[in-house]
Amino acid sequence: MTAERIDSKTKPRIMTYEASSEGDWITGLHPMDDLLRGERLPHIWCQGCGLGTALTSFISSLKWLEKRKGWDLDKVAVVSGIGCTGRIAGYVRLDSFHTIHGRAIPFATGLKIANPELKVIVISGDGDIAGIGGNHFIHAARRNLGITVVCVNNFNYGMTGGQVGPTTPHEARAVTAQYGNYEYPFNLPYLAAASGASYVARWTTLHARQLDWTLRKALTHPGFSFVEIIAPCSTAYSRWNPEGKGLDPENLRRRGLEVMKHYQRVGKTDHGLHPKDAHIKVNERGEIIEIIEGEFLLETRPDFEEAMNQRVEIAEKYWQREKAALDKRVSLSIKKKKVPRTEIQLGGFGGQGIMSAGKIIGMAAAVFNNLEACFTQSYGPEARGGAAGSQVIISSSPIHHPHLTEPTSMIIMSQGAYDKYVDTLAIDGVLLIDNELVILPEDHRTDIKTLGIPATKIAEEAGNNRAANTVMLGFWTAVEGIVDQKAMEESIAESVPPKTVDLNLDVFRTGYQEGLAQG
Amino acid sequence: MTEQKGSLTGEHFMLGDHACAEGAILAGCRFFAGYPITPATEIAERMSVRLPQVEGKYVQMEDELASMNAVLGASWAGVKSMTATSGPGFSLMMENLGLGIMLETPCVLVNVQRGGPSTGLPTLVGQQDMMQARWGSHGDYEIIALSPGSPQELFDLTIRAFNLSEKYRTPVLVMTDAEVGHMTEKVVIPPVEEIEILHRPLVSRGDLEPDHFRIYRASPKGDPGYVSPMVKAGDGFRIHVTGLTHDERGYPAMNPEANELNVSRIMQKITANQKDIIQLEKEKLRGADVVVVSYGISARTSLWPIDQARKEGIKVGYLRLITVWPFPEEFISKLAEKVQAFVVPEINMGQMVREVQRSAAGKTKVIGVHKPGGDILDPRDVLEAIRQGAGIRQEA
Repeated sequence: MTAERIDSKTKPRIMTYEASSEGDWITGLHPMDDLLRGERLPHIWCQGCGLGTALTSFISSLKWLEKRKGWDLDKVAVVSGIGCTGRIAGYVRLDSFHTIHGRAIPFATGLKIANPELKVIVISGDGDIAGIGGNHFIHAARRNLGITVVCVNNFNYGMTGGQVGPTTPHEARAVTAQYGNYEYPFNLPYLAAASGASYVARWTTLHARQLDWTLRKALTHPGFSFVEIIAPCSTAYSRWNPEGKGLDPENLRRRGLEVMKHYQRVGKTDHGLHPKDAHIKVNERGEIIEIIEGEFLLETRPDFEEAMNQRVEIAEKYWQREKAALDKRVSLSIKKKKVPRTEIQLGGFGGQGIMSAGKIIGMAAAVFNNLEACFTQSYGPEARGGAAGSQVIISSSPIHHPHLTEPTSMIIMSQGAYDKYVDTLAIDGVLLIDNELVILPEDHRTDIKTLGIPATKIAEEAGNNRAANTVMLGFWTAVEGIVDQKAMEESIAESVPPKTVDLNLDVFRTGYQEGLAQG
Repeated sequence: MTEQKGSLTGEHFMLGDHACAEGAILAGCRFFAGYPITPATEIAERMSVRLPQVEGKYVQMEDELASMNAVLGASWAGVKSMTATSGPGFSLMMENLGLGIMLETPCVLVNVQRGGPSTGLPTLVGQQDMMQARWGSHGDYEIIALSPGSPQELFDLTIRAFNLSEKYRTPVLVMTDAEVGHMTEKVVIPPVEEIEILHRPLVSRGDLEPDHFRIYRASPKGDPGYVSPMVKAGDGFRIHVTGLTHDERGYPAMNPEANELNVSRIMQKITANQKDIIQLEKEKLRGADVVVVSYGISARTSLWPIDQARKEGIKVGYLRLITVWPFPEEFISKLAEKVQAFVVPEINMGQMVREVQRSAAGKTKVIGVHKPGGDILDPRDVLEAIRQGAGIRQEA
């Protein structure tokens, strides 16, 4: 059953609607009518429901903030999810967003972060906030995001007819818990506080005045504020539970009132109490016998916005560094040459810079040599456990197929990589190895050209064994002659850590000379 | 200097995912909400570094439901916004994609597709979410989806996705894949002034009395492709929007007539503007016997077998869907009258091929080349399908 109002008899209003009639609703006859969408009234709520009071208190607090604190209510946005409470967004004359079930808080997160000027308030029900949207609730609290979340808790899913929910007291009855609820409810103030909310309070709708004051405080609180409002559900929850049993179901107003009186009898105000102890106690019949109300937590610490903005300077530094590197780049007027599709396989173990070496070749070809280049790396299980592989394809024409089909060039820096890749090398292909790390077996392929260089040793002697890959690159550049030496050097200078540029260029040249000598 | 702060004009050797982020920044994206997922994570990583440099905001949400939802909220705050994900996250985003469409919210959702179903193949390529892109959220709607085949195109199409989303006030999907996202190639970032950047039609305070404003106004001239101007939260219009069926004011309207108007509006603004939205790359279609119809990475890898087939004397045409949704139904239907066969290579067990079949309506043969995710297509399979389409018997 759905409680959405169906107005099938009337002609669709959309066809006949006259512009500018909203203003007609602001009559001045009611102190709040400028903040209510009169054209949408009457509301859909049942008689005896607590939502009217919750809405009134909310509007009173806004009016007070407007009058006393100079708030511009154009800057207030209300976000709701789905459910009876969710309808509040539709009745307030403010920027208001009636989103989908459970997602009011992330929507509000986007609004608030994108425009911190906005005062963003989420008003939704217990099912919306603690059930389907529970994850968003705890995470928004954890971020100490500067929004206010008001949860109107009526202990059940009212709009769909009174099903058990995450706030239904233990042993209480509901349509889907007719034998008594065997689950335990959330204590929402405790959940909010434990998750990182910096303002936490609870009232029942009987405390209209306190609620008004609390909401003023919550709305002006810098950081995540949470207010739980206990409200009677005169139609659904009261029908099943001791608080409303025996009362005339035809007289919902009376039933709501009686439930409210019950909440008054069992209510106990205890400000500053640890939220853990801010319980809602029930007896063995599921009858509520104590509700602790009050303001439980008020802390001041940087909210999400402030914490985020503290990082802007660092971000600017990063940017300057990246921009400087780009500005410094020289344009090499190297004449584009014709290069057939050339496939290069690089292999070694993690930490040798197999990925960076592949990228340096690709960048040299693509950016400094005006060629096409496509670099991919092996992901998946083989990327762990030490083995690393990367692939580069270079060509003077577009590279249609981005995977290696039969590599003609190979840079191998470990025995494992040798074992894995050597058989895939094309006949007459070129295999370059770090000859201190790869020991060629007796049956090593004779249909390929194999050249070696003690790259790691050279790099170590130069003072940094992590530059071994650069030695291999120099060696490869000279032997293969696909990419120009100058292009490679520019690519290296841009890719390695600034402090190691000179060292890397030195060992690159050592490798290059050795390549010329051997190649 | 005319250069916009934060643009990396120049030539780069760049990862596809990073190119996507750079495209977004240039398009004016200043809000990103996301959740880590292979192979789309690098987009979030890059955005988290870049956005604070350009006065943008990055937030890592608790899941993909929240990510897509936060993107909508940010868009209503007047900020161009984006999220990026892959298969499992895409499934979660379907819920709020529907809300975005219903609220007519400009934003961009990038799906770096991986092999599925379920957790599937996190690091390996797939094109298996193409139908989910079209039909994944409940209810009737139209969607715009673009499919790039290289990092450069991922950059270009991310900008176009923002432009289309702003122009038509609707979420736009960039349906890329693990292959393109994780590939590093040359990416040329042009000077800012050379890039066309569109902004949503926006009514600002002072343009109009708030009372006269209709957030979902129908075209005053009866134009079905009309896009109602938007406002942003905080501008004094005191708007109300809802995921419920709504009227021009954005108020719930619970009746079939209102629903018809509502649904028609969100569908027609896309169907009536198909000519502007649909982009195709056409090559040698005239006189072709076989036309390869493909998109994204599969279109790109089909170019080699197409070359081969041409060398064998087969007249092969090439039709690449840069815009995959809305589907170029009319174009393919007309083309179907002139060719012997369509060959449709894609990395799934047959998704867009159904659209080709539907559009061809039996007028010509449609041969799909399919494999579930995990690897790009073997060019030999595509070549074989082209030969088959041309009526050449397969060699034993």
